Amino acid sequence: MLPSDTHPLLSITGLAVSYGTPRGPASAIADLSLEIGKGENLGLIGESGCGKSTLLKAVMGVMPDNARIAAGRIAFQGRDLVAADAGFRRSVRWAGISMVTQSALNALNPVLRVGDQIAEAIRAHRDVSRAEAWRRTEALLTMVGVAPERARDYPHQFSGGMRQRAIIAMALALDPPLVLADEPTTALDVVVQDQIFQSLRALQQRLGFSLLLVTHDLALVIENCERVAVMYAGMIVETGPTRDVIRRPTHPYTLGLKNALPRLGSRDEPIAIPGGPPDLTDPPPGCRFAARCPFALPLCRTEPPALTTVAPGRQARCHRAAEIDALAPLAALPQTWDALRDAPR
Amino acid sequence: MAGYLLRRFWHMVLTLFAMATLMFFLFRLLPGDPTATVISPSLYPKAQEAMRQQFGLDRPLFEQYLLYLRNLLVLDFGFSFQTNRPVFEMIQGRLLNTLLLILPSMFAAYLLGAVIGAIAAWKRGSAGEVGLVFTATALQSAPLFWLGMLAILLFSIKLDLFPIGHIVTPGLFPEQDWRMYLSADFLHHLALPFLVNTLYQLCFPLLLMRSTMLSTIGEDYIELARMKGLSERRVLFGHAARNALLPLATTLPMILGWAVAGSVVIETVFSWPGLGLLMVEAISRADYPVAQAAFLLIAVLTVFGTFIADLLCGLLDPRIVYA
Repeated sequence: MLPSDTHPLLSITGLAVSYGTPRGPASAIADLSLEIGKGENLGLIGESGCGKSTLLKAVMGVMPDNARIAAGRIAFQGRDLVAADAGFRRSVRWAGISMVTQSALNALNPVLRVGDQIAEAIRAHRDVSRAEAWRRTEALLTMVGVAPERARDYPHQFSGGMRQRAIIAMALALDPPLVLADEPTTALDVVVQDQIFQSLRALQQRLGFSLLLVTHDLALVIENCERVAVMYAGMIVETGPTRDVIRRPTHPYTLGLKNALPRLGSRDEPIAIPGGPPDLTDPPPGCRFAARCPFALPLCRTEPPALTTVAPGRQARCHRAAEIDALAPLAALPQTWDALRDAPR
Repeated sequence: MAGYLLRRFWHMVLTLFAMATLMFFLFRLLPGDPTATVISPSLYPKAQEAMRQQFGLDRPLFEQYLLYLRNLLVLDFGFSFQTNRPVFEMIQGRLLNTLLLILPSMFAAYLLGAVIGAIAAWKRGSAGEVGLVFTATALQSAPLFWLGMLAILLFSIKLDLFPIGHIVTPGLFPEQDWRMYLSADFLHHLALPFLVNTLYQLCFPLLLMRSTMLSTIGEDYIELARMKGLSERRVLFGHAARNALLPLATTLPMILGWAVAGSVVIETVFSWPGLGLLMVEAISRADYPVAQAAFLLIAVLTVFGTFIADLLCGLLDPRIVYA
């Protein structure tokens, strides 16, 4: 057995990332820990600007110049990527961890053939001939349901769904153990979105890669991931098996998210969480969600809660996680949140 | 594609026809009698009349115009007032001299400009990049003749590295044939105007490449290319620069036009016997047939350059389809 097999595939511990801004450093990610096992699907959910994309960039090692990893480690198969030299990092990119990016239209270079863009990823890591890389490219496109002769086409000759399929083919080019997916289907209509995820799951069955699905669409996570992590303002506020987390959230933010999800056959209007995320250049001293939480206590505003285990396999970052059974019915009522809306602080 | 080429060719013919017409009437609008240099007013009126008839100047303007167009079609530009030689013959050699200076210089300027501009964008914010942009902007704003004079002052007079002008050492090649162009002496004379012109023309593609690169670098496909584990060089030249080249290609005709027009300046400063210098000489000596033909030739070169740039764009950007 290889030593790497004893480690989880990807293990992030205590990660903190900050961006340099004119008003001082913004803490985009704070004290973030995650683990993904082999063949596992993890959904990472959170609203825009909560640090999801920053996390992916940190893992891929393509952060912008003004971003800095302030603390923590990102271990891939047991080896820390944060401290690793550039050569090792480059070898892990794509061959170890690949990515299905958001908005496939902009992710493909408009002036290069789709096939060449896939083949160059292969040739950057494997010592193969052009012809061989091209054959592999055609096989990959066939695998994701695109006719292989379309490899000679340019991106503008592809439909939106085909582009996304091409991106998936590209992500699987080197048979990586881990695939990150950043809002992979936001630009597509629901029917195509469903097709894409069906083929993604079928491919996963065949190839056995792990998937980290990053999205703001709770429904996608419910359909595709056995575990979910909920992110708010750069922190993970709750994590656990998807079914349990959705059925019985243990964090007020997750309760709010669930409220915002329209339900079929229900006459209730979805309830939005009032307010917006905190200013990350000056994060609140206590819980980052306190200002928008209908259940916040004075303690919540001064003392940051720790991520604690609330049940086997489940963690939440809330001072009142133990009382959640009593709070959950209140959270389902619109007036609970309206009170916050009426008295903004 | 064939249909496009045909249509494009037809447009070129129309443009040139318009240019030729404009040229003809502009020269007739010039104050004074341009024929006075050949048909001396001191001649007997009878003799003057005879000469006018010989040149066809007694006919109505429109008839003269048709005659002029017919002659253009068979590349007959008439005779020089000054030397009495056929204008076509005079221009041929001059055109070659201009092209030998301008084309390699433009080629070098575009190639270097694109590469340096791409690297400058990649190293944005570094002291070297800031200095480079400042220098390029300053050079671009400086008059070309002044740069040429400074170069002559420094390299020819102070350092005595290059000759101060002309295409070869006078008297070295009395025949002025192809052997002249293959000689080291020619290259020695070519070097300084070539360098000055290249340096001057380099600034525009450099600055343009840099600014397009800066917007290209922020694109998602650049990030993806990097995430694929491609080397920085490959990301820079294979992806970013490849896209940033498009606007550069569209400006090529404009730049070619400037370069040919600029040849008037550079050739005058370096006494380079090209088309530009011929034009200056012709105008100052009221040698209208020569000036007219030189102007027309510059128009032809510019129109042709635009055509080449159009084709180049389609080659670089697959989204452009000729239909």
